[in-house]
Amino acid sequence: MKKFISLLTLAALLVGPVFAQPAYSGPMPVPPADTRSDTLRRAYLDRVREVLVWYAATAKPDKPETIGTGQIVAKLALHQDAALVSQRIIELMKQPQTGDMFWMFPWAAISFLGRDQLSPAAKAAIRDAWRTYFPMRGDTENHWAMYYSSLYLMAELYPDDPADSWFTGKSSAENRAEAKGYLIHWMDLATTIGQGEFNPTHYIGEYAIPMLYLATWAKDPEMRIRGHMMLDWLMAELADNTLNGVLRGANARTTEESVLERWNGLSSFFSWTMFGNTPPPAAYGGFGIFFAGAAENYRLPEVIYQVAVDRSQDYIQRDLKRTRRRWRYSDQFMPPIYKTSYMRRDYAVGSYQGGQSDPIQTHVWDVTWAVPDPRGVHNTLFSMHPYASTEVLQMYFTEQPDGLIDSLAGQGKPSFGVPDKILGASPYERVFQDRDTVVALYDIPAGTSYPRINGFFSKDLTHVTEDKSGWIFAQGGHTYLAYRPLAPFHWEHLLGYRQLPSAHGYKWERIDKGEQGDKLLVSEQLRNGTIVQAASADEFKSFEAFQAAINALPLEFRLEPVPVVRLTTLRGQRVAFTYGQAPVVNGVPLDYTKWKLFEGPYLNAEKGSRRLTITHGRLKRVLDFNTLTITDSVTP
Amino acid sequence: MNGFPSGLAAGLRLLALLALSAASRPLAAAPAGFYLCAALNKGYVTGSKITTVSGLFKRDGAGGWQHIGYNDLSITAAAFDPRDHSVIYTAAVNGCWRSLDGGQTWRQTNGWDITEGRDVAVDPRSPDHVYLALPDGVAVSPDRAQTWVRRENGLPDRGKYTQTIKVDRAHAGRVLAGCESGIYLTENGAKSWRRVLPTAATVDDLQQAWNDPRQWAAVTQSDGAWASIDGGVTWRRFPGVPADHALYNITFDPTHPRRLAIASWHYGVFTSEDSGATWTARNAGLPEPHRVARVGVDPDTGRLYASVVNESLYTSDDFGRTWRRGALEGSVVNNFITVPVAVK
Repeated sequence: MKKFISLLTLAALLVGPVFAQPAYSGPMPVPPADTRSDTLRRAYLDRVREVLVWYAATAKPDKPETIGTGQIVAKLALHQDAALVSQRIIELMKQPQTGDMFWMFPWAAISFLGRDQLSPAAKAAIRDAWRTYFPMRGDTENHWAMYYSSLYLMAELYPDDPADSWFTGKSSAENRAEAKGYLIHWMDLATTIGQGEFNPTHYIGEYAIPMLYLATWAKDPEMRIRGHMMLDWLMAELADNTLNGVLRGANARTTEESVLERWNGLSSFFSWTMFGNTPPPAAYGGFGIFFAGAAENYRLPEVIYQVAVDRSQDYIQRDLKRTRRRWRYSDQFMPPIYKTSYMRRDYAVGSYQGGQSDPIQTHVWDVTWAVPDPRGVHNTLFSMHPYASTEVLQMYFTEQPDGLIDSLAGQGKPSFGVPDKILGASPYERVFQDRDTVVALYDIPAGTSYPRINGFFSKDLTHVTEDKSGWIFAQGGHTYLAYRPLAPFHWEHLLGYRQLPSAHGYKWERIDKGEQGDKLLVSEQLRNGTIVQAASADEFKSFEAFQAAINALPLEFRLEPVPVVRLTTLRGQRVAFTYGQAPVVNGVPLDYTKWKLFEGPYLNAEKGSRRLTITHGRLKRVLDFNTLTITDSVTP
Repeated sequence: MNGFPSGLAAGLRLLALLALSAASRPLAAAPAGFYLCAALNKGYVTGSKITTVSGLFKRDGAGGWQHIGYNDLSITAAAFDPRDHSVIYTAAVNGCWRSLDGGQTWRQTNGWDITEGRDVAVDPRSPDHVYLALPDGVAVSPDRAQTWVRRENGLPDRGKYTQTIKVDRAHAGRVLAGCESGIYLTENGAKSWRRVLPTAATVDDLQQAWNDPRQWAAVTQSDGAWASIDGGVTWRRFPGVPADHALYNITFDPTHPRRLAIASWHYGVFTSEDSGATWTARNAGLPEPHRVARVGVDPDTGRLYASVVNESLYTSDDFGRTWRRGALEGSVVNNFITVPVAVK
């Protein structure tokens, strides 16, 4: 946790002034009904061009400060103003460099895009910065993906340069070997025991952009196809986990904003670009330009497109992921994450098993409902234990304990140390999901920060009804929701965060939107629990009928000595779940050891296989990292 | 606590021995250089337009600090080849960097499989051997960091997070490592390790006394401060040092064998002038909250330094009784390094 800024803040720094963008402020996009290859391709390239044109237009020749790396990428991709851009690059390279791996990947892109456009002096200025500036490699997998992909490509671009011409003090060949070694190691992990930093709403860019660059510019055909295959892999997962383009369900990492307004993440830039089924976020998510700069070199397979846009059938997807590495205070290095997703036309439910997983920014479970336009809508429901511990942070980070929480806040992650937070995992939460039923149980030791459960109730819910049965009923979009707190509770306004101007780290103030804002259901009992069930409004004659159906279901629970729930779900499943024990469904205990890397109608892979099969209808693509082959087939 | 009889009386006997030892032995060879590793990064986050100069600094003749080498705010430690001080090793996020020319040029000595170096040490009696403390154990180089090999036999599979590593200057291949589960000792160049002090949480610092190589001191995150008078084989708590919060480092005063100092974010500065028998909080003049990341003692003058996080490097010429604000505004010092005279 080496003082790396939040992506939203960094994106704002990179982008500069934001003004109207066609897709961001325009009507909801509609995926084309005509899915012929040329139609999809043309729509994709049109979207990419929109990003490039918008960025290029933010560069004012008489105001050099408006021309940053994003604008340079845009102009080079559009083949505009090479002389102006060259001059600006020379100016920028005279300044002290900063940004580490966030510096490396834009300048790698500029180096490749500018090969035939930049002046020799501009190219030399960039090249020399890779000798004089010493970027840190960082401490997370997304940092390393950016660092090593960039170093690899630059070492290929300058293949025979000596050690003293690189900041690493290693020759081009040595840099290539080191970078290739790590990138293959990371791909091996992801394709055998699952991805770390899985399904991130923002960090998806830190993986997708480097993989695109490898797919586009790597000279070594092995690295080129590996980049292509990993990008396919990432986009297939995005397609499978999005509801109308909105990434929902469990996330290894998300943000205070994205966990509520589920659309508002860089992931939506990728959904918009690839699938055309949701608007992009402001400024194309900040990093979108760095994907757009090379995006013409990627062709989304139709099978992935179909997985993204087809919500005509309900489906369950189970995936295996892993936490980031734990350096200390843990018996496990990278514990497994068992993730479940249930997707329907009107809503989706997603979760993993709970417990301590990643240290910061984790989101464990939710129900997210479909809305006609997701912009500004908090279309989600969940509960969580707001846990904060420096010892847990030290499991993952090498820093000293004191000041860690303050440091996080200064990096744009303000909520880690506040009791009303709605983001983060807890070692004292256990979650089980069966289709559209979630049971979350809590057993919080006395003295833990913080002794409460926070249930999120959106400003966008309607018909919120506290039933005498103990259930709270509500409607979100075309979805009926039933939320059962297992212990007494009270309501609080959920305070938001408003960023304040600051030259030194992230500063903010809390804001209260009153009765018009979101609410927290706060329950301060240490042994506790939440049950949520969801259904489409089409399944019942009325909201009252839904409530009657829920109330008619068998339900038993107790909280002492540990929380236990026994219920029959709306789907007729008999679930028994005891905190600390394997969930039991219809008398059969769940065996997580049998969890596959991917298992569902669209994505399938065996644990350890390095082989992902993507299917939709008659279409199939197999990504096989054992043979480095991409195999497409169509069922006759 | 291996080998010690229990009870207060035994503790007092230990301290008497420490004091006797301190009083009776001259200091080691006169130190030649005083360095620190610092991050001058107040308010800096990646992507900021703030430009900082961080890394390794050497105290110059006027008492100022001269930056050496590359700009890296992640440097946590540095070590020098005793034969030639232009050979420098740093422990940093990228692993271990080495310069062969006094910091003019550098090489990242490790590959991707070594990361986040926490501490680095050169064996003064076998200076080609370099030891690197890592979040996942210990690496050793037999060839001045040209190559690295993991040597963790005897360290636990889990529990080998290593924060600090120090080589016994009296015996080649004798090394102490401060890990998350205690202090480990090797006497064969890390071919095998054995635990000599179990702890509940990370050992943050280990130091060898200047006047007597058998004397060692250690501080921990949750187990207080410890002393050894037999080369780190057995350990005894320093009395009077609290253990409720983390202690970040401990230092012997090279100019005065009975003086020690401890740094702590929570407690500030503790000093002892009787070989650890009694300790006094010395925070008058330091900003509130104290938040001291590191203490160090100038080997030439005995000046005590305290790095107050993101504030400044405070100095005291009366061993902590009074402090004044000093250089390196907005800094955090990760380490002080005192380097004995080099052959070259």
